[in-house]
Amino acid sequence: MVSKQDVLGKKPLHVLEKIRENLEKLNEKMEVMIELQKHGRKDIQPLPETPLDVMTLLSMPDHLRKTAMIVCRLGRATAEEIAQQTSRARAVESAYLNQLVIMGHLKKERKGRKAYFYVDRETQG
Amino acid sequence: MMMGKIIAVHSYKGGTGKTLLSVNLAATFAKHGKKVCLFDLDFRAPSLSTLLKIEKPEHWLNDYLNGTCEIDKVLIDLGDRIQNKGQLFVALANPATEAMREMSAKDRKWEMRALGRLLALRNSILSDRGFDYLVFDTSPGLQYSSINAIVSADLVLVATTFDRSDVDGTKRMLHELYDLFEKKTDLVMNKVLHDISSEPRREEMQSKIKEAYKVPLIGIIPCFCEVLKGEGNIIFAQERPEHPFAKILDEIAYRIDNNNT
Repeated sequence: MVSKQDVLGKKPLHVLEKIRENLEKLNEKMEVMIELQKHGRKDIQPLPETPLDVMTLLSMPDHLRKTAMIVCRLGRATAEEIAQQTSRARAVESAYLNQLVIMGHLKKERKGRKAYFYVDRETQG
Repeated sequence: MMMGKIIAVHSYKGGTGKTLLSVNLAATFAKHGKKVCLFDLDFRAPSLSTLLKIEKPEHWLNDYLNGTCEIDKVLIDLGDRIQNKGQLFVALANPATEAMREMSAKDRKWEMRALGRLLALRNSILSDRGFDYLVFDTSPGLQYSSINAIVSADLVLVATTFDRSDVDGTKRMLHELYDLFEKKTDLVMNKVLHDISSEPRREEMQSKIKEAYKVPLIGIIPCFCEVLKGEGNIIFAQERPEHPFAKILDEIAYRIDNNNT
């Protein structure tokens, strides 16, 4: 049997939890929007492929270098995996990764619902 | 089991003692019973083949980075030179002028692949072959092979001296290179001429260096005439284990082992 106290105690908590979850989702979405706006999205054409070598890494802005370094080390990763290492939101990493793809430093490949980002070390050039 | 570590030994200027430090540090780890591999990544001026008197290996590190052979073909076992239970291997850079010229003319794409191959050593050498340490000897200053080494390493040992031009350059490099890659960096103050024989004097110097560079200091090495007189022929860690230079390296190796600087 559930006591009155429990129902009263749990329900508001549950609702608060839901609100928090939704706020977090909203926050992630907003961060992505801000990120995309900052770099003026739509008319961006991917730049020609540019190798992700150490000098390129050095000249990158700090926030992108952090992401790029981890892809370098892992070879291939999802935004989720990167976020675990940088302690930044998955959506933020996703925005940075897509930016690195646009800059021609990374390649992106979709497998089912997941998107993998990787450094293309194989193509001849 | 603990995963092994990659240590890059680097410096701003040449002549700070990187190679001597790398060789002796690797030998010290081996002396302590570790499985170690020393890599000559100074492709501009290779020196380990001469220093270790290895004539003509079948494959060079150049070949591995070029993607024409696997890493086990490059590793040379120096087990016959080690008295203790440790294991010491070495991978050499090709000192032929032609090879040096070729390495200095590589493009960015090649350097990117080279970085990939250095990063892959974490799996092939540390995990699969169970090495405890990989020690990278590098070229001084800011150049591809050295930065590739730094990016692949877990720990960067920066060899420096009190030489005026070295001090400023090293400070800049600490904050404009290693910091950007978020690398754990430890300083080795080498060729120190001041008297640091007493504990208070040593401590005074330690705090001065830490204050000036704002990074952990892992060792202070006095200028030993015997080391210079050895002309690179003696691996002190092995042949003169009682020498103060060998003792200091023992301490540095223990500090790295215990992650304590």
